[in-house]
Formats: sequence, C-alpha cells, structure tokens
Amino acid sequence: MIWKTAWKNVWRNKVRSLVVIISVTIGIFGGVFAVAIMNGAIAQRVDAALNQEISHIHINDKAFRDNYDIQLTIPDGEQILKEIEEMPGVSAVAPRIQITGMASTATKSAGVEIIGIDPEREKKVLNLYDTTIPGTGDFFESESSSLTAYIGQELAKELNIIRYIVDEDVLAALTGKEVPGEVLNKLTPFVGIRFKNEKAFKKALKGSLTLKEQRNFGKSIRDAAWSFRSRSKMTLTFLDKTQMQTGAVFRIAGIYDVRNSMFEMSQVFVKNEDLIPLTGMAPGEFHQLVVRIDDLEATEEITAALKDKLPDLEVMDWKEIQPDLAMMTDMVQRFYAFFMVIILAALAFGIVNTMLMVVLERTKELGMLTAIGMNKKRVFSMIMLESVFLSLVGGVLGMIISQVLIGITARNGINFSNYQEGLEALGYTSHIYPAISMPFFITVTVLIILTGILSSIYPALKALKLDPAEALRTD
Amino acid sequence: MKVLEIKNVHKIYNSSEVKVHAVNGVNLEFEKGEFAAIVGPSGSGKTTLLNMIGGLDTPTQGEILVDNTNLAGLKSSRLIDFRMRNIGFVFQSYNLIPVLTAKENVEFIMNLQKWDKKERDERTFELLKAVGLEDRVNSRPSKLSGGQQQRVAVARALASKPKFVLADEPTANLDSKSTETLLDIMEHLNKEEGITFIFSTHDARVMKKARRVITIEDGRVISDERKN
Repeated sequence: MIWKTAWKNVWRNKVRSLVVIISVTIGIFGGVFAVAIMNGAIAQRVDAALNQEISHIHINDKAFRDNYDIQLTIPDGEQILKEIEEMPGVSAVAPRIQITGMASTATKSAGVEIIGIDPEREKKVLNLYDTTIPGTGDFFESESSSLTAYIGQELAKELNIIRYIVDEDVLAALTGKEVPGEVLNKLTPFVGIRFKNEKAFKKALKGSLTLKEQRNFGKSIRDAAWSFRSRSKMTLTFLDKTQMQTGAVFRIAGIYDVRNSMFEMSQVFVKNEDLIPLTGMAPGEFHQLVVRIDDLEATEEITAALKDKLPDLEVMDWKEIQPDLAMMTDMVQRFYAFFMVIILAALAFGIVNTMLMVVLERTKELGMLTAIGMNKKRVFSMIMLESVFLSLVGGVLGMIISQVLIGITARNGINFSNYQEGLEALGYTSHIYPAISMPFFITVTVLIILTGILSSIYPALKALKLDPAEALRTD
Repeated sequence: MKVLEIKNVHKIYNSSEVKVHAVNGVNLEFEKGEFAAIVGPSGSGKTTLLNMIGGLDTPTQGEILVDNTNLAGLKSSRLIDFRMRNIGFVFQSYNLIPVLTAKENVEFIMNLQKWDKKERDERTFELLKAVGLEDRVNSRPSKLSGGQQQRVAVARALASKPKFVLADEPTANLDSKSTETLLDIMEHLNKEEGITFIFSTHDARVMKKARRVITIEDGRVISDERKN
C-alpha cells in the first residue's frame, strides 16, 4: 500500500516530477556515455597494445632492459623457447633480437629500436602485420635478394620515405570522394610538385585553402596525395657484438599504421637471419622471447609459473612492460567512480529540493495520515520511496538511453578526427568505439538507488517533525 | 459501558506574552453508542478538546481515558498505533488521499493493519455501501462532490472498527442536502452498528440530530443536555 501510494504520489505533480526525472536521465546518460567513450578508448588502447605492440609476456636477461646490451642474450634460448611452447595456456612464442641504432635516409635520420624477428613466429604473437598500409609491402612475405625492414608510418614520414604528390589520378580520386570543384581548382597549382613530407604539404594547403576547407577535406586530400616510392631504401647503423659500428642498407618491406606515433616512430622490424651476420651473433642467439597466451585472465598465473621456471631471467607481463597501461586501467576506474559521484551528488540536491517542496505542500495530508494512524516509520518510508522512485525512473531511463546509444555508436565508432594527431601521439586512435562493462552498469544502478535513499533522508525527517494537530490546521 | 472519560482536563498555551487557558477543567464521560455534539462559538476551546480526545494533543493537566487507557501515558509511537486501532477521524476538509480511489482510501488503515485481502474487500464494500457510494468505488476524490468525499471519510473512519469516531465540524463545508444525507448516514450507522460519534460543530442541523449536546464557552462546559 505504501509502495503504491508513493508511486502514485510521484505522478501527482507531473511537471515537477518530470523535470526531476529528466534531469536525472540527462545526468546519468551524460555520465555513463562519457565513461563509455573513455572506457572504449582505453579498451582499444589496451587491445592495440596487446595485439599489435607488446603481446602478453616478455622474457629476457635480468639486466637487458637497462641499456639493451647486445651481449645479454638468453642462454640456451632455443631450448627454453621449445619448453615454453609446450606449456599449457601458451599459444605462441617468438624470439627477438633487439638492438638500438639509427635509421637514416639521404636527408633525415632518427634513433630507433631495431628488432630482429622470425616473421612466421612473430605473426603468431602479434598481428602487427595486419596493419600494413596497402601497397607498401607484405611483412617479409615475398622473397627478396636484398635486406628488408618493416617500419612505422610516422618514421616513414620523418625519413621522407612518404611523399605527397598531387596528380591527375589524385584529383580524380578526390572528385569521387565528393570534394567540391572549387577546392579541386585550388589544388591544380600543386600538380607536378613533389612535397617531401607531410609538414610541407600541410603548409602548402594552409596557404591556399580556407580553414573550413582544411578541416573538412584536409585529411582526404592528404590521404589521396600520400605517395610511397616502392622499394625505398634506408640505412640502419648500430654496434655489433664487438662494439664496432656497423650497418647496412635495407629496403622497405612494408609500412605499418598502428595509430600510435611513438611506437611507429621507434620500432623497426627486420629479419633475424638478416641481422645475425651483421651483429656477429651466433644463429639461434637472441635477447628476448615474446609469449602469447590463450586467456588474458590467466596472465598472472602463467607469469608466475614462468618466473618459477626461469629464476635467472626477467619475466614480465604486459602490466609490468607498460605500467602506464595498467595504471591507466586502474586510474580510470577510480576516475569513473569520482565522476559518477559528482553527477549523483548534483542530482541528489535536486531531489532534496523537490522532496522538501513535496513535504511542505503536503503538510496537511501528512498530518492527517499521522492522525489516522500511519506511524513514523511508514511516513518516512513513503517519502523515501517517492524519492527512490523519482531517481530510479530517471536513472533507468538514462541507462536505457545510454545503452541504446552505446549500442548504436559501438557498431560504427565515433570519429574524433579533429583530435586525431593529439590522440595518436598518446597512442590512442581517434576512432573510438564506446564500451561499458556490466559491473559498471550494476554499480551505477546501485548508486542511483543509494542517491534516492540518501537524498530522501532530510525531507523525510522534516515530515516526521510535523505535529499532526498543527498540520491539520494549515490550509 | 464507558468508552471515554475526560477527568479535569486543562490545556494552557504559553505563547510569548499571553497565557491562553484554552480548556479549563473539563470533566466528561461518554457511553458506548452516544451521538453527541460539542458546540460553542469559535475560540471556545472545542477543537482543542477534540484534539486532546483524539490523542493529537496532550493536556497540560488531567487525564483522558479511552477504554481505561490514559492517552497521556502513551509514548508517541504507541499513541499513533492506539489512534489507528481505537479512534476514527472525520475532518472538516475531508482530507482524503487525493491519489487514491474511494476504495483505496477506505482500506488504507486496514492495509496498515495488515488485514487479509478478502476481509478487507468485504469490509470496504460494506462501508461504501453504507455511505451510499457503492457505485463510486474507483473514483478519485477529485471526481467526487464535497458531500461524497465526506462520506468516504466517514467510511474510512469506521474501517478499523474504532471505539468512537471524532468528527471536527464535518458539515462545515457542505450544502444542506449533503449535510442531511451525511447526518442520516451517520445516525444510521450509530443506531444500527452502535458506533459512538462525537462531533464538534456549530451547525444547528447537527445539534438537532444529536442526542446529547455539550456546550463549551471559554474552555468550560456550561451545559450538557441529553435528549430522548
């Protein structure tokens, strides 16, 4: 009866209740959706890191990561590799040689990490090969008489391996992409000019296009004018095992695009068999083992088992390799909670205000209810239920709207292309797929109910203080 | 059988400057089945007296015994429960719960007392029939006339079979036809079911129907007449 009466009371002043409900709905929707976007971005970041950049577990000499000393290889590496491959829960293991060095072309140079891999094994621990930009290469697939390297898009731009050329084909392609004629007209003066890098091309575009045109079509134009001279070359220099400087010319066997500028800038992949003769290392010698496991949940368990098995080596799971990722995941959890608490606190004040009005308006009725025998506990529960209903209706609506919108946007993602450069510099993609976890959803629901209860306490206490005789006398 | 005894009851209001002796040494007894009116001009203290009888206000001095229980001796939570079980209230401005239907208003107290559904439905229907509203069971108060609302209020007051019903100027807001109907209904319930009614009023029509008229002036009983 109390429940029914409370529910009916909510709809007594429809406009006022709707205003509160709508504000709860908007608050919850805003909070949940914002969290979903952050969550999605982080999930994608973690996913990219685990699938394209680091995989799950790394094993190397205990001092190796201090300064990547070429001497610090894994003793009996081949044997250990085989043993780990046999372990339950392990899906693949790949050996790596890792040295620091310098990549240079005729005009530019950059410090890089040169990673020697066994392409077939590497494909099983990471799917970096999947991110190869079409037309740039095939991740060491095709036979080559020369040495080959697989590099990131950012490094390719930095070394002027990628250039920008506007020609008739580019203009035709842009017409197909619905770039208006007036913009194309502005591009015709560029035909025949070879821009050495992205910066120069951007600068030229800036000179002739309006800000709006740059924003709307800049990326399409750059993508279309992007040009890669196949079989471009670069020189890699590094120290060999005897600390003598050595190096060789490598042809580009592919450019990868992981949308993480730092990674693209620094990681250069070459074949182990190409690197071994240059470094003076023995065949089968390597610095690191990259382990991929079947179930991410088992990371800690398998890492512990590997640590037991290999006490003389350093075994690190992805959280240790990239502590920022782990920290990010932990920190955002706390951040979400904080974020939701602020939103709910704001809503609580709205509810308190409304419920105080309700108590004031219904002084006489509440007096009558006490007079005819409704005890304090029941009066309190009735007022409390009314505010819980208010917040719950709004909360549930907000959750439904968020869920629907998350569902829709998760299918195609949301494109934050305006922030692309900034996001990619931090390792985040600009195309975000919002995502929310079930526990978060449940937590929010519980918090909404708690908010309803907490914000009803003060108005309900006010209702209890009413003197029935006095309350009845009010008009 | 005595249902209510009022023994030397005083009520003094101490506002900042003036001391108001609203009820000044009232002694009264009510038997089961009485149909009594407490009358007096505005400010005579009749509403204060009625509130004290109903346990909504406490006497400054004296005792109010309902079925030999002293109301002043009950803690507030016990008092609310006592009111629910023993006293029915009818207010001047009906005071129904606007979001509930006539039926729901009547069964509200039975619900609080956790009656089972079958008994509750039977009693509710019986009462609504007694007040002539069996065809308005599902109407909300806003769809009922003032007289009809007050009849629902009477049905509600009787729901939990109280020892007596207190009605504070029940006809003050009603036209003469509604007043007559309401009085007839209450008289009928009084005679047929032996329910004790105590009114406060200055409505001559109520006084005419009442079988006992207690007149109060300046907080004192100045006359107590019984008609036959």
